[in-house]
Amino acid sequence: MKEFNSLEDILDFAINEEQMAADFYTELAGKMKHQEMKDTFEQYALEELGHRAKLEAIKSGKKYQVSEAKIADLKIADYLLDVDVDKSNITYQEALILAMKKEKIAFRLYNDLASAATDEPSKKLFLMLAQEEAKHKLRFEVEYDNNILTEN
Amino acid sequence: MERSEEYIKNERKQEWRVELQKLTKAKDRMAIERVEMTEMAPEERIKSQRVEVNVGLTKEQAMLEATRCMDCVNPTCMEGCPVSINIPKFIKNIERGNILEAASVLKETSALPAVCGRVCPQEVQCEQRCFYVEKLNLPSVAIGHLERFAADFERESGVISVPKIAEANGIKVAVIGSGPSGLSFAGDMAKLGYDVTVFEALHEIGGVLKYGIPEFRLPNAVVDVEIENLRKMGVKFITNYIVGQTASLDDLREEGYKAFYVGSGAGLPRFMNIPGENSNGIMSSNEYLTRVNLMGADSEESDTPILRGKNVVVVGGGNTAMDSVRTAKRLGAERAIIVYRRSEEEMPARVEEVHHAKQEGIEFLTLTNPIEYIADENSRVKQIKVQKMELGEPDASGRRRPIPMEGSEYTIDATVVVVAVGVSPNPLIPNSVEGLEVSKWGTIEVVKDKMQSSIPEVFAGGDIVRGGATVILAMGDGRKAAKNMNIYLQEKYLSNKVEH
Ligand SMILES: Cc1cc2nc3c(=O)[nH]c(=O)nc-3n(C[C@H](O)[C@H](O)[C@H](O)COP(=O)(O)OP(=O)(O)OC[C@H]3O[C@@H](n4cnc5c(N)ncnc54)[C@H](O)[C@@H]3O)c2cc1C
Ligand code: SF4
Repeated sequence: MKEFNSLEDILDFAINEEQMAADFYTELAGKMKHQEMKDTFEQYALEELGHRAKLEAIKSGKKYQVSEAKIADLKIADYLLDVDVDKSNITYQEALILAMKKEKIAFRLYNDLASAATDEPSKKLFLMLAQEEAKHKLRFEVEYDNNILTEN
Repeated sequence: MERSEEYIKNERKQEWRVELQKLTKAKDRMAIERVEMTEMAPEERIKSQRVEVNVGLTKEQAMLEATRCMDCVNPTCMEGCPVSINIPKFIKNIERGNILEAASVLKETSALPAVCGRVCPQEVQCEQRCFYVEKLNLPSVAIGHLERFAADFERESGVISVPKIAEANGIKVAVIGSGPSGLSFAGDMAKLGYDVTVFEALHEIGGVLKYGIPEFRLPNAVVDVEIENLRKMGVKFITNYIVGQTASLDDLREEGYKAFYVGSGAGLPRFMNIPGENSNGIMSSNEYLTRVNLMGADSEESDTPILRGKNVVVVGGGNTAMDSVRTAKRLGAERAIIVYRRSEEEMPARVEEVHHAKQEGIEFLTLTNPIEYIADENSRVKQIKVQKMELGEPDASGRRRPIPMEGSEYTIDATVVVVAVGVSPNPLIPNSVEGLEVSKWGTIEVVKDKMQSSIPEVFAGGDIVRGGATVILAMGDGRKAAKNMNIYLQEKYLSNKVEH
């Protein structure tokens, strides 16, 4: 597992992860055949940049909290097949699956890092990051539940 | 038709209405019990795909039920109807025995009353807003049954009035898709004197009314009469013609069509994207119902054994799922099972459909979700791995969403699986017409209430704009589009300034 030497190190890692996610979506947007899906992925990229900005604010001293409330996990993507990201005609349903899965992976990563962390401040920071990812995932899950699973 | 509140109120004061109001005391009206629709016995009706379940009301039943209606000063039922049918006016005509007049009141606003009387979800529309429900906590006036009665009476009487047609203006308009939306649009435009041609991809006219909704709920003959009427009004139909493939919109422009109405529906099935979903024996409800309804795959001679199975599992909880599972029963399935991930209260299917399905012996596995299909050595599905769900805590929107219960997985046997988890818009037109604005859901973007797209001469409505919706909304869109396209064309080609 990756070694972190300071809280700043952890934040730099997380900021870079958000940037990579944004780049990933921007690249997908460029590849899409239809305008509405280009717009969708550009929107997702913007959201990731928003997450990045939030972490940067923390790095410059903004306070953060690990809330007690557990964030709901609808586990929708857990049982779905991976989306083929090489094609140029991804549907909106697939876009949501992709996003849910990405956020889940990030959530797991931070959760694992939190369990492995030996000092309290790092643990707290990882838990906060995990919670953030869980929130992002829930946003996509709710959209999927409301709009894709309408008849199910 | 635009009708002011005042107009509705004044009509209520017409002599014949006032007389009827006085004829029976309110107390006596309220004492009448809601009519029960006569139904074919479940064990009989499941022997055929083409026996209609609801038999319809007799004239006596209908007139008595119409007497229940209070002819309210403020008819809230009308607010519940997406196209604001003048409900008390048509019901009071039934009460006085003038059924043909009742039918013509329906036609003022609804292009297909015999269809809507059968398939509209009245229980959540007009009937839910009826005085009996809102104020008395009693069963509503059976508005849907009465609508069906009046429309059927007219059809069976043979004296169907063909509406007056304005003088031909020589302007050609094209309709893409012959579902309820396209048909109602075509009717209104023909009345206004336009030269209307409907292009349909399939070999049958009617859209979902023919290929989706089975005959045990909506006989084809009912739809055919309406189509015949449109023909009499001069509407032309061209079948097996896929716009965007057989010819493009530009080709049609070259043939002289000045404007277009896209009513191409939401016929693209959605799947769940779980492992094994492409095994043989698993198909979309769309494919399943189309094969039976349009290709006669239910007949004994038909060579489509794939559709018949001992255990047919249908995934989903909407009308499409109910129609599929009840069709499976009629094709001889020993077990026909609904698997639905939420609870029964949340099923989007009509209450009546769920009720009929239960009478017919359909099994319901609610709060259960498929997570994997298991196939045999020939890649044919044989089992489904399902998982139990529980409802989570209410979220910010107050909704309790289902969450998988880990460790609750088990398998059920399945010889045929029908996936009915939803549909997306048909992508051909949205993808092939340059400059047409489309949402991320693949629906065509239109100016609300005008139904005009980003291309001025292209209008759209029904499921291609709304995603999956209802027959009445699709029809309402067609009428709105006709009204606004008329304004557009009058101003552009006939130099008529039209009052907006
Ligand atoms: C099984 C089932 C049961 C339903 N039950 C009910 C119910 O009980 N009550 C209710 O209110 N609603 C019900 N609905 C929903 C309702 O049927 C739809 O909302 C309605 O039919 C939409 O009408 P439409 O005219 O927009 O499209 P459709 O009825 O889908 O018609 C679209 C037509 O366009 C044609 N088409 C598509 N692309 C092209 C092209 N490129 N060129 C030419 N033609 C094309 C299609 O072949 C089709 O015939 C049900 C739907 C299904 C599938
Ligand atoms: S609300 Fe009910 S009782 Fe009143 S006019 Fe409408 S159908 Fe009749």
